[in-house]
Amino acid sequence: MEKNKKTILGNFMCHIYLIFLTIIAGFPLVWIILSSVKETGELTSNPTSFWPKSFTLSNYIHVLNDLGFARNISNSILIALATTVIAITISAMAAYGIVRFFPKFGNLMSKALIMTYMFPPILLAIPYSLVMAKAGLVNTRLGLIIVYLSFSVPYAVWILVGFFKTVPIGIEEAARVDGANKFEVFIRIVLPLVAPGIVATAIYTFINVWNEFLYALILINSTDKMTVAVALKSLEGAEILVWGDMMAASALVVIPSVIFFSIIQKRIAGGLAEGSVK
Amino acid sequence: MFVKKERNLTRWIFVLPALLVVGMLLIYPVFSSIYYSLTSKHLIKQSYSFIGFKNYIYVLQDSAFYVALLNSIKWTVLSLTGQILIGFSAALALHRVVKFKGIYRTLLIIPWAFPSIVIALSWKWILNGVYGYVPNLLFDLGLTTERLQFFSDANLVFMTLVFINVWFGAPMIMVNILSALQTIPKDQYEAAKIDGAKRWQSFVHITLPHIKIVVGLLVVLRTIWVFNNFDIIYLLTGGGPANLTTTLPIYAYNMGWGTKFLGRSSAVTILLLLFLLVVTGVYFTVIRKWEKEES
Repeated sequence: MEKNKKTILGNFMCHIYLIFLTIIAGFPLVWIILSSVKETGELTSNPTSFWPKSFTLSNYIHVLNDLGFARNISNSILIALATTVIAITISAMAAYGIVRFFPKFGNLMSKALIMTYMFPPILLAIPYSLVMAKAGLVNTRLGLIIVYLSFSVPYAVWILVGFFKTVPIGIEEAARVDGANKFEVFIRIVLPLVAPGIVATAIYTFINVWNEFLYALILINSTDKMTVAVALKSLEGAEILVWGDMMAASALVVIPSVIFFSIIQKRIAGGLAEGSVK
Repeated sequence: MFVKKERNLTRWIFVLPALLVVGMLLIYPVFSSIYYSLTSKHLIKQSYSFIGFKNYIYVLQDSAFYVALLNSIKWTVLSLTGQILIGFSAALALHRVVKFKGIYRTLLIIPWAFPSIVIALSWKWILNGVYGYVPNLLFDLGLTTERLQFFSDANLVFMTLVFINVWFGAPMIMVNILSALQTIPKDQYEAAKIDGAKRWQSFVHITLPHIKIVVGLLVVLRTIWVFNNFDIIYLLTGGGPANLTTTLPIYAYNMGWGTKFLGRSSAVTILLLLFLLVVTGVYFTVIRKWEKEES
């Protein structure tokens, strides 16, 4: 009886704690959305009123049309899509290659990937900006796509190795006996088996590129080429009047990230710390 | 003979593109940074020459470098401590509850998806000294005598940044520890219970040993990430007020893109990398010892 009471109380405390954390975790997103649909006057006159008195989409319209943010969104989509397609193609091949043909080196390669994770982005930024200047790729979307492979490929290889390890080799051997070559086996047999993992990794790559700030800041300098992250930074002025615009633009950037991330989190999370080093 | 050749060649075709990416975009830039750190390379001026260790000597004699180094260590230690405490406790609570588990989990990981610029803008707006929701709420409730200036008050600014970084980083720790907790066989707890072990004893002797390695690995990964992080501080305070929040990546950025001395800036980033190599080297030694104990 005594034990039971303790357990119920413990569970209750856990719920209280989790609700408290959820409020803190979710508040910025809620506040971005609520602020983005408030009139400018309301944002500044009554800071602690929670619900909007009047609902307006004028901030969104202003950001998308007058400030050219629609252009930045399409830049980011283009860059993120291109990076994702290239990175996933390269990484899927490499991860499969490591698992199937270099089992001995697999561990070493994973360690090498962790090593590259150590390279500070601020360190890489200097040679990138110099090389891109030489190659005439400063202020181009292609330049950013190339630079973005630097973190998306190691990440994706790392996650995908875990997925490819789950494919039983027997299935492949049967196909090889039927006369399929390595590439046919890889594309027709193995890829469909790990498709869910590949899709999740692709979405993860997309979000990482969509969210990236430092390289975009250093390599892009004209407003029409900017990604959403840098365009958002440039919106930030000292004026009070722009908070509504900034929250609307922030909502446009963060809501897709949150939605996609919650779709894939079960597949990706946990794999980061587990499958990588063992 | 011929078959073997074919096998070796296709093996390499699979991994070659990734090796090229790593070689050209990661290995080569690091070596070129090492080279530039030994030259008088400038962002605008074309000509530069080899000057040996002059950049390193300059940096190591600059008092601002030590301020940035101390800030970096403070930033990393405080952020990580907070992230582990919150992430670990949240994982334990989540592991224990049955109802609403999925909902909690989905909502709790929201910060993880935030781009750094949105982290910065949303918190700047929430904590804004004039129109911010939180300073006004605290003031209206009579908890503070004036509206707190979270980003300009020298006593508050560092802890504000650490709080925001904990808010961002704790979910990732939580999810990874939770998945480690779920791999612990339940019957071990049952057996301990029958032997009369108390809850805390089970925690110390069963839970902790099982998740030690995952936690160790998380500490390595998060140390690297937090130490290298440029965006969050740059976007929230730019390193101010008065360099109070300037960490090494910000210091390096200001040197390279502010004063335009790329050679010096490269020297700073190489020192940053060396520091990380030493720290992670120590970490991995500890983790390897743990792994040996297990097997």
